[in-house]
Amino acid sequence: MATPEMHPELGREVPVGSIDKELHKLWAEDEARTNASLMNLAVYSEAPGALEKNSAAVRELTAEHACRAILIGIDRDAPETSIRAWITAHCHLSHGKKSICCEQIAFALTGKATGRLRNTVFAHLASDLPLIFWWQGELSPIFEDRLYSLVDRFVFDSSGWVDPCSSFARITEAIANATRPLVVQDLAWTRTFQFRVSVASLFDDPIMLSALSEIGAVEIIYHPAHRGSALQLLAWLAVQASWSDTVELPLAVPNHNDSKACFSFESTSGKTILATLVANPDSAPLGCLTLSGGEVSASVSREAGSSHVIRRIEAPGHFVEAPGPADPDTCADLIGEQLARGGKNSLFRKILPRFRSLLERQ
Amino acid sequence: MTNPFREDLVSRSRPEPCTVVIFGATGDLTHRKLVPAIYNLAIDGELPPGVKILGFARREKSDAEFRKGLEELNRKVSRSGHDDTIWASFEESIHYHQSEFTDLAGYQRLAARLDEIDRERGGKGNRLFYIASAPEFFDDILTHLKAAGLNQAAEGCWARVIVEKPFGTDLATAQQLNEVVNRTFQEKDTYRIDHYLGKETAQNLMVLRFANAIFEPLWNSRYIDQIQITCAENLGMEGGRGGYYDKSGALRDMVQNHLLQLLSLVAMEPPTDLSADGVRDEKVKVIRSLRQWDSPEKVAANVIRAQYHAGHVDGKPVPGYREEDRVDPESMTESYVALRLMIDTWRWSGVPFYIRMGKQLPKKATEISVHFKAPPGVLFNALAGGVPGGNVLVIRIQPDEGISLRMVSKIPGTSLRLEPVKMDFHYSTSFGKSSPEAYERLLLDAMAGDATLFARRDEVEEAWRFIDHIERAWHQSENPPPMAGYVAGTWGPKEADELLQADGHVWRRL
Repeated sequence: MATPEMHPELGREVPVGSIDKELHKLWAEDEARTNASLMNLAVYSEAPGALEKNSAAVRELTAEHACRAILIGIDRDAPETSIRAWITAHCHLSHGKKSICCEQIAFALTGKATGRLRNTVFAHLASDLPLIFWWQGELSPIFEDRLYSLVDRFVFDSSGWVDPCSSFARITEAIANATRPLVVQDLAWTRTFQFRVSVASLFDDPIMLSALSEIGAVEIIYHPAHRGSALQLLAWLAVQASWSDTVELPLAVPNHNDSKACFSFESTSGKTILATLVANPDSAPLGCLTLSGGEVSASVSREAGSSHVIRRIEAPGHFVEAPGPADPDTCADLIGEQLARGGKNSLFRKILPRFRSLLERQ
Repeated sequence: MTNPFREDLVSRSRPEPCTVVIFGATGDLTHRKLVPAIYNLAIDGELPPGVKILGFARREKSDAEFRKGLEELNRKVSRSGHDDTIWASFEESIHYHQSEFTDLAGYQRLAARLDEIDRERGGKGNRLFYIASAPEFFDDILTHLKAAGLNQAAEGCWARVIVEKPFGTDLATAQQLNEVVNRTFQEKDTYRIDHYLGKETAQNLMVLRFANAIFEPLWNSRYIDQIQITCAENLGMEGGRGGYYDKSGALRDMVQNHLLQLLSLVAMEPPTDLSADGVRDEKVKVIRSLRQWDSPEKVAANVIRAQYHAGHVDGKPVPGYREEDRVDPESMTESYVALRLMIDTWRWSGVPFYIRMGKQLPKKATEISVHFKAPPGVLFNALAGGVPGGNVLVIRIQPDEGISLRMVSKIPGTSLRLEPVKMDFHYSTSFGKSSPEAYERLLLDAMAGDATLFARRDEVEEAWRFIDHIERAWHQSENPPPMAGYVAGTWGPKEADELLQADGHVWRRL
């Protein structure tokens, strides 16, 4: 009998038709290990070499989120048609004693075999557990209703999208057309989470809350690779504060150039709010949000690479400064944070139309 | 006006900025639990900006000395580690105030100091007083807080008090303390802390019962045979705790508060809502429904008390209870107690609740086990040997928090043989993220004005009313029930086993 081929990261290569049998054997080899699973986590990528990279990311993720991981590597342009599969387990010591393991199945599909993605991959889901589908990169033709209708939570990162306007149109269409409630999760939105929590905590202060109607200027400094996060943060502020879009005002600076964009809103009391988005290559993904008006100024700021943000309120006779946690920078860590929070992400759906309108105003 | 940015961000009550004043600030609780809990809340971003800590204690210390001592302990015990940058910012909000607990002038200076801190660092005047001192100072602290006007909050602000256990030593002292507390603070501003209720599994009890449709229909005397609550400790009177413990005992130290709280959560009716009073209304009904014993004979028939004798725990020799440091050699304080309780309600009629708590037992474990009735005596029960054991649902409170269900399965093979098997859920296996410490959750709730996980006055007093019957029988009757003995490192006295054997039951083996 031939020795199964071992891949250093993906584990043992197995025939696609024997995956379940081989998984069973994998567990039988060591009875001391505990198989844990709270969800199916599918990770999809069309980038070369993504399987290995994603396997490493899943290993980190499974330390906190027990799952059956299904990695999918796709090469649609390959001339040959093939499906290969590997199985392995990611194990972690729980409290330094018990070995908790999560199984992983990796698929590489090439050529015309990519059309068999749905049947091949989804035959290996752990039953009764939700399916979290992490899509990496641009939305390709494979993103269609027969795929997303099987998914409970669809995770993507819009920050790298070349044409976010049209891709978000497809996401919106998917939400409307999915045959089951589809929760969509943009990691660009997840990157704004701790900034949003910090802003909310600033307005727990009665001085800030009473000054909300005085806010006349917003500035968001961001890293150029994370413009989408900055726009989503602005869309959230506008929606939650009930600021309506206005006809663009004549401004002292150009409305939009490579590093700066300006928007204007109107509050419910008729006050104009000028919002400036400033790209800075030295910034953290989100570097600083400043809200000012009247004699009050509040900010949430983060140095690049820092693990925390600083929340600050300055008003006459009132100064508050406090640290808070920052969002992680890597996609895998962001996914981990998101999985820990769960929820239906209804707030994202609420701000999505406004965000799309801001995208189109650029 | 509500904060529009809070929508959908956090599914819990919102904590408000305040100054936390800790009485007994140089003590172990402050250094090991309270300040690390507040630090971890800051790390997790749960703490609102503007929260300040002011330690109040008798020893002379500067702010810097106080901060240094807290930092040293935080490095050792903080759940999420210690970050120098965060601590540097965090410690700016920590201050120290020296005063005797009995000195009114010290409280007047405290009031001025709080105002000054608010002026300097920005604060609207919310105060959370945490009484973590020795219990003999509770009265003085509360009385002087009132005398200094600190019980009254400024317009639009609040003043709340958290009181640590022991909340009285019997019904009379609890009532007296409650009178003092309620003369100083309104009941809605009084938070009697029981850290067991802040534990994840204790909170999960209500979720298990009321968010899963499969359990509640079975949660009654028709299907449940008995319920056991065990709190086992493998420690004795180390670290000089014999002095306190010998005045208290297992019944007052653990059963009156922690274990009766767990019993309430297991046995209560579904609350009408999840509000603090909605939940506590149902919990207190359970305590009120406990069958009372009005004679020493009835107490003796239902309660076993015991002290450990010299033995071995974890392979090490340990002295007997009466030989422990700071314990009276003729002490009649119990280090172990086992009770058979009956709850006289429609739901629980005829179902015994067995509670046991002991020191120097073989291991540390707190759990609730729900033992279901055996299936009817036909089919498999008619086989030789019958069905091996009924279904048991176990809720592990600590350590290794989780839930398991024992059921019966056929052993593979050509013959029909049955064996019990266990389905097990471990928090640590399914959720890799560590749970917050109980004090983190409870402090946050107090800042948010959510008293759901704190004991209400009537709960505390009803629990003491029940416990007092037993204490009177033990210490004031002419014919007190005997004090049993057990060897340290064993699971308690044989009398406790006999208590259950009389009902045809046995203690669950942990």
